[in-house]
Amino acid sequence: MALIEIENLSVTFTAKGRPVRAVKGVSLAVEQGESYGLVGESGSGKSTILRAICGLAPVSGGTIRIGGQPLPSPRGADFSRRVQMVFQDPYASLHPRHTIDRTLSEPLAIHGIGNTDQRVTQALKDVGLPPNFRFRFPHQLSGGQRQRVAIARALMLEPSILLLDEPTSALDASVQAETLNLLNRLCAERGLTFLMVSHDLAVIDHMCDRILVMQHGQAVEELPREALAKAEMKTDYARSLFAASADRMLDA
Amino acid sequence: MTTLVDWLRDPSPTSRRQARLGQSYLAWLRLKRNHLAMIGLAIVALLVIVAALAPWITPHDPITQNLRERLQPPLTAGHILGTDDFGRDILSRLIMGSRITLFIIALVAVTAPVFGLLVGTVAGYFGGWTDEILMRITDIFLAFPKLILALALVAVLGPGMENAVLAIAITSWPPYARVARAETLTVRNSDYIAAVRLQGASAARIIWGHIMPMCIPSVIIRVTLDMAGVILIAAGLGFLGLGVQPPMPEWGAMISAGRKYLFEQWWVATMPGMAIFIVSLGFNLLGDGLRDVLDPRNSGK
Repeated sequence: MALIEIENLSVTFTAKGRPVRAVKGVSLAVEQGESYGLVGESGSGKSTILRAICGLAPVSGGTIRIGGQPLPSPRGADFSRRVQMVFQDPYASLHPRHTIDRTLSEPLAIHGIGNTDQRVTQALKDVGLPPNFRFRFPHQLSGGQRQRVAIARALMLEPSILLLDEPTSALDASVQAETLNLLNRLCAERGLTFLMVSHDLAVIDHMCDRILVMQHGQAVEELPREALAKAEMKTDYARSLFAASADRMLDA
Repeated sequence: MTTLVDWLRDPSPTSRRQARLGQSYLAWLRLKRNHLAMIGLAIVALLVIVAALAPWITPHDPITQNLRERLQPPLTAGHILGTDDFGRDILSRLIMGSRITLFIIALVAVTAPVFGLLVGTVAGYFGGWTDEILMRITDIFLAFPKLILALALVAVLGPGMENAVLAIAITSWPPYARVARAETLTVRNSDYIAAVRLQGASAARIIWGHIMPMCIPSVIIRVTLDMAGVILIAAGLGFLGLGVQPPMPEWGAMISAGRKYLFEQWWVATMPGMAIFIVSLGFNLLGDGLRDVLDPRNSGK
């Protein structure tokens, strides 16, 4: 049985009185310890799937199960301790008026976990930030450092599943590689399961065991890593998406 | 001194307190560059000092009448600002009156903005029906002219300083609710709120710990800018005889008493008018300066 099972998921937003179907009947399954990538152009509904898992998007049909259990709504404390998310833009995902310390200790306070000082310093160390960053504010950090803080925050509750919403697209190339390596290392150390969204096949190729190509809110094609490496796509859309970022993959 | 400044400017603070004080120090440096704001701050500080020391620095008793010395012009020996129609020293009455003004400002400043902030953030965060109901109530209060509503309330409750404060507080919270709601709507869908929701935080925790800190700067700016208005309403109530009751030396009531002598003994009404003008100006200048320092739109960098 897969760890994350999504069956026939639909998400419908209401914009200016008209329904907008962002996700139309997508199914996928992610095994324990696997890195699963969602790929597609902007607006293909890939981020919406992550938000739907977190209960941040209106699900209009289908089921999401984690560990075989359907998710309760609202999600509840158990969910928070199993699933956490890293957001796309590190400039928007950290509270501008909270110190790094406050940002990292907030999840501990919410869940009544003690030993805050030691956990926060350890978390900074785990993501490769010096301990004297602890009482800085986000505006005193660079984009890559902020994303490290965001990753540390997501790991504070020791979740088994990490949802990654284009975690590197707001960062420049060298910092991207650093951040991806950090994620790969944490994944190996902690046996995390990744569900990752990107429009960049180079990033996906570096990280994921399997990918799902999406277009206009629908699943187009699921590919294992080997098929991606050998460019064995069955559909035209997946092939054109692959061709568009093939140059960058050769560099990597 | 230099070690303290170094400690405050340390880019890698070692405790929560140092980080917070360091941020306050940087804000203070920004405020210090704004000369008009510093003038405003000086006026407000002077008001606070004068009010604190009032009983010890008044040259005469502000309440005891002395009809032999009534309506003395300014610069008379012993009465720099002259005397009023009961022979009371105007300077002493202004100094004692600063206490009343400050008391009213302080009480309004700790009640109305707090209530408005609460209503605004709750309405903005929950949206839907909660938002509709709370904001329609706010609209009802906003629909009345402030002074008229305050007058009606004082007329019902009876004249007096406490009732004046209550009336002013009840009439001045809606703008804060509006400001707080607008600010809440801009942050409620941001990623950092989504992140803390995902961590399982309760609505109360999110509103109190994550949304309110984002609203407070705009509310503080609004409070300092509104303080001039509060002083004027308090003076207006005093002028109409519905605020602080005689013989208490309230500035608005003093203007009202001097109205009868405006053409021959102009100083009786003019001196308290000047006091109201200067203090209002001080709060407005300070508010403008604080807007430059605290406005979230330019403090991010």
